[in-house]
Amino acid sequence: MNPDTRILVIDDEPILRESLQAWLERDNYTVEAVGSGKEGLERISQIPFDLVFLDLKLEDINGIQVLSRIKEDDPDTAVVMITAYGSVPSAVEAMKEGAEDYLLKPFEPEELSVLIEKIISHKARERENIYLRQEKQERSRFESLLGQSQVMQDIFNFIEDIAPTDSTVLISGETGTGKELAAKAVHATSHRCEGPFVAVNCGSLPEQLMESELFGYEQGAFTDAKQSKKGRLELANTGTLFLDEVGEIGPRMQIDLLRVLDEHSFTRLGGTRPIKADFRVIAASNRDLARAVREGAFREDLYYRLNVISLEMPPLRKHKEDIPLLADHFLSRFRQETNKEIDHISRQSLDLMMLYDWPGNVRELENAIERAVVVGKSKHLQPEDLPISRETEILGQGSLQEMEKAHILHVLKQNDWNISRSAKVLGIDRSTLYKKLQRYNLRQKA
Amino acid sequence: MEREIIISPIGGIPSSVTVPVRKAVAQNFGLPTRIVPLLQGIDFAYSPHRQQYHSTPILDRLAALLPNRGSRSLAITEMDLYIPILTHVYGEAQLKGKAAIISLYRLTDSNPPSLARESGLTTQRSLKEALHELGHTLGLKHCPDSTCLMHYCRRISDVDHKTDRFCRYCKIWLQDALEEERLSLS
Repeated sequence: MNPDTRILVIDDEPILRESLQAWLERDNYTVEAVGSGKEGLERISQIPFDLVFLDLKLEDINGIQVLSRIKEDDPDTAVVMITAYGSVPSAVEAMKEGAEDYLLKPFEPEELSVLIEKIISHKARERENIYLRQEKQERSRFESLLGQSQVMQDIFNFIEDIAPTDSTVLISGETGTGKELAAKAVHATSHRCEGPFVAVNCGSLPEQLMESELFGYEQGAFTDAKQSKKGRLELANTGTLFLDEVGEIGPRMQIDLLRVLDEHSFTRLGGTRPIKADFRVIAASNRDLARAVREGAFREDLYYRLNVISLEMPPLRKHKEDIPLLADHFLSRFRQETNKEIDHISRQSLDLMMLYDWPGNVRELENAIERAVVVGKSKHLQPEDLPISRETEILGQGSLQEMEKAHILHVLKQNDWNISRSAKVLGIDRSTLYKKLQRYNLRQKA
Repeated sequence: MEREIIISPIGGIPSSVTVPVRKAVAQNFGLPTRIVPLLQGIDFAYSPHRQQYHSTPILDRLAALLPNRGSRSLAITEMDLYIPILTHVYGEAQLKGKAAIISLYRLTDSNPPSLARESGLTTQRSLKEALHELGHTLGLKHCPDSTCLMHYCRRISDVDHKTDRFCRYCKIWLQDALEEERLSLS
């Protein structure tokens, strides 16, 4: 029951797909419905879905074939086959092909909701594991915020100005611009620097997990709560709470968060005792939150509560003069980590890096240097070691959009159109990459 | 524009149901509420194949009969309702729309059936489902809190378990939605 869960219904009977769509929407899922296998596959190639309800008998393409294509493109997409009485053997065959389950039309309401909950909670556990792995990785990266450009010097000065206050800070900026680093810098320069810096990535966790992660829980609060656990709000006491990707939090959590920010008091899940915690909140988002407020996706009262001081991290293309410094910094780090004898970056490589516009910003630069160090064969880092397209050089005079499109296409080709791998190389997450594919109308040729 | 909620009984729905439902609706939504049978019958929605009534076309018909833009209506029927993908529903509503319906058919589920009516259980269940469906017409979605009115009930025991109140989240969303509607109509 979370609008973050995206469901696609593929059924050629309009009345059935419309009634399933309407029912699922009332259950607070984001739902789309299409009437053919072809349309379904097209939609899935544009946007990731968590769950697909797929009719076994479609007019244009056999349901089993649609299933295979879905699983081929993204094995993480759960598929439930919808079938009429009499087609059960084919549904069983679909299960062998990787479908999560099948349902006989018409469904018992109980059967449908139990099945969805089972699938969604399984995916939530998987996402939690990925989140914990990513978090561990993130902790070891980005240990410093660097830059000699005027743009970055202005940022450093602003951070020094705002650090001594206890006001809430909202950091905006494109993905990979170092929003968390800026938050850490505010924390490190503030009087709370002896206290903890506790980060929560609001975009990585489903709402229910976010709740237990933030507020903690008492023993027995839910089935897996074998013992009580402190939440991040409690852990942040005397320090700073960093809410990354705050624009992604669900509507219930927005209400809770507003209350916590007002009162600095909360209760653990399953608990009754109010807990006081003293922390400063720094939030970050790569979404335009003001726009989200206008569209009704983000509470206006929470937006104003978070946006007391706003800090905008510039994209790397706005301070390209920092590229040599940053590249050197990353080179020395990855050289140490890999024990490779690469002593400097060649002039041609630097030229190539200066030409490129880095849509994934500093994180993309970091990933590019890491890859180049790993694959590099000579003592100097060479242009061919960098995952930057030659097409980028040719398109050097084109618009930023043209360059970004060409680069994304290049990376996708290099990675056999594997979305996860390509997203990692580009330094963006999978959903951002999907959005860009849709925007540029990029798709793999059959 | 004046807003109102019309409770629209279909057939012989007893006042032991309609009156408490009207009172609870008025209390929870803070809008003038009256009982007017807008629909004469629902035979047009009957499916001989399923021997049930398809609730979605009933909602369309009900919405078309509303006296003005500020009105919304909740129909109450004793017939068994369905939507094509499900075996049955306790009720249905137009999400962010104007019409809702509940069926008493499965809400009197008790052995013997008269027991539920006599004990007032049917009335209790009806008003919970009525508030739930009207909540949908204001854009509220299903709530994970099993005691909240907006919780989706898989079985009749779930209806009995939930309270006749909105949880604090749904209460806030309901207030937001009512305010937004007031502004859009003024």
